[in-house]
Amino acid sequence: MTLRAETTAVESSPRALLDRLPSPGRGWLTLPAICFLLSVLVVPLVLVGLYSVNLLTNLVGVPTGFSLVNWDDFLPPGENVFWDRFRTSMLITLLVSVLAVAAAYPLAYFLSFVARRRRYTLLLLILAPFFTSYLLRVIAWKVMLANNGVINSALWELGLRDHGDGLSWLIYSWFSVSLVLLYSWVPFVALPIYVVLENVDTRLLEAAQDLGAGRLATFWRVTLPLSLPGVIAAFVFVLIPTTGEFIAPLLVGGPESYMFGNAIQSFFSETPNWNYGAVLAVWLIAVVLVLLLLFGRFLGRDLRQGRATA
Amino acid sequence: MNAAASKAGRLALGGYFALMAIFLYVPLAVMTVFAFDDSHIQTLPWSGFTTRWFHAAFSNGDLIAALQRSASIGLATAAGSTLLAIITALGMTSRRLAFRGLITALVLLPLVIPYIVLAVGLLILLNWLGLHQALWAVLLGHVGVSMPYCVLIILPRLRTLDEAIFDAARDLGAGPWSAFRRVTLPLTVPAIVSSAIIAFTISFDEYAIASFLVPAGQETFPVYVYSGSRTPALEPQILALGSVVVAVSLVLVTLAEVVRKRAERRLATA
Repeated sequence: MTLRAETTAVESSPRALLDRLPSPGRGWLTLPAICFLLSVLVVPLVLVGLYSVNLLTNLVGVPTGFSLVNWDDFLPPGENVFWDRFRTSMLITLLVSVLAVAAAYPLAYFLSFVARRRRYTLLLLILAPFFTSYLLRVIAWKVMLANNGVINSALWELGLRDHGDGLSWLIYSWFSVSLVLLYSWVPFVALPIYVVLENVDTRLLEAAQDLGAGRLATFWRVTLPLSLPGVIAAFVFVLIPTTGEFIAPLLVGGPESYMFGNAIQSFFSETPNWNYGAVLAVWLIAVVLVLLLLFGRFLGRDLRQGRATA
Repeated sequence: MNAAASKAGRLALGGYFALMAIFLYVPLAVMTVFAFDDSHIQTLPWSGFTTRWFHAAFSNGDLIAALQRSASIGLATAAGSTLLAIITALGMTSRRLAFRGLITALVLLPLVIPYIVLAVGLLILLNWLGLHQALWAVLLGHVGVSMPYCVLIILPRLRTLDEAIFDAARDLGAGPWSAFRRVTLPLTVPAIVSSAIIAFTISFDEYAIASFLVPAGQETFPVYVYSGSRTPALEPQILALGSVVVAVSLVLVTLAEVVRKRAERRLATA
């Protein structure tokens, strides 16, 4: 900053003075994006909000006017099938987030502490499937898990189960939805944990062991606490998008494992009631925003560390 | 001595890594294997080798049209969101930026809003404006959701550039545009290429927004794939084309990473 002030002071050419004096900065360059995002993002969200309180409607012959009827119906107390769907959905989401982080941690640990020279190649190896079509990966799993699918028919061929007698929990179940979500998140989630582990100073681990800690104690009391920001960031990276998931349940889920996103979708396609669907959509955003408020600071910290190493 | 893991620990971690890598690729391999299976139903035992599903897929006009539609929207998304992201990132590196926090939050907002909500929001917006579902609406949605990724790729690159290089060009008589084009832009090329690739990938694969906004008979590839996967007669074709798409994207991801690494090394030594 001071350097810049000096160069400005010694400027003499009139053109340079003209350029520098008003110096409006270039912050105005963000204006196109602001206008664009306001119109394709913020305005639609406001409209969804208006639908949720019946100030707008697509139903013919229904008068508009402020009303919380749909909110009343959806929110407890009182039995509501969509509230149940929300609870199921959050349970699956939490389960998947915890398992994904637990499954990814050893991968990240291996990459940063064991696979020294080939780590970038190996990181790319596990990240690459994440960049292939999500929909196609879910379809690939459907081929594996289907009633006549690869896993069941392999069991029949091996004589482990009677022909035609498939494992009933293999597809259209909690298991299938969780497995497919877990599968798609693990590589991605390894990344923030890896970034944080890379920043752990190995001299600290050596110091801990010089002071008499075993490797396990070193891990529990030094490495794990130091990597916690990355672990929480990874957890949130799964938690937030999975809250609104609807593709995996659509293909491999059943009545018991349809998620909240499927409920929203159904109100805008099969049984159109945009006003009720908007209530669910606003609720979903509210939940995501609460999760962000709870965990957002960990994301910020992780991003800063990521930038420092990039 | 390795302070992080004992010899046995390193072996166990290596074994776990190998198992996970297999777990990640098995479904993709299985899909490819059954794309060559001479049966409508994907079940064991294998019915024999055939390439007929590939022939059927590549002569399926609807499928190819959907693929072309997605490629066009993907390219337009890559161009649109990368351009917008360059401009926005330049603005965000401004020393004095009013409402910096708000602007950052707005740019990153699409990362946290569930796609299903964005999709129904855009559907409601179209309806409110009295418009019908259209591919341009899909494009706008895709630019919106891929822009934060593009900004997150380009902005850190711009931040690492020494502002003094730009100032030096200006002091030597270059106008702001010419200094940008001849100094800043060439140094940002690797980030711009990554940004375009990521945006294309996001758009090409995007199902939620497209499924609500495509007009009937103008399905994008993911929308066609979804309905095809639920139609037994079409499923083998979906697997055939799917395995081609997966193979191509694995090759592209690898290539992009190799090119990026090489370019970064060159810029670092330059």
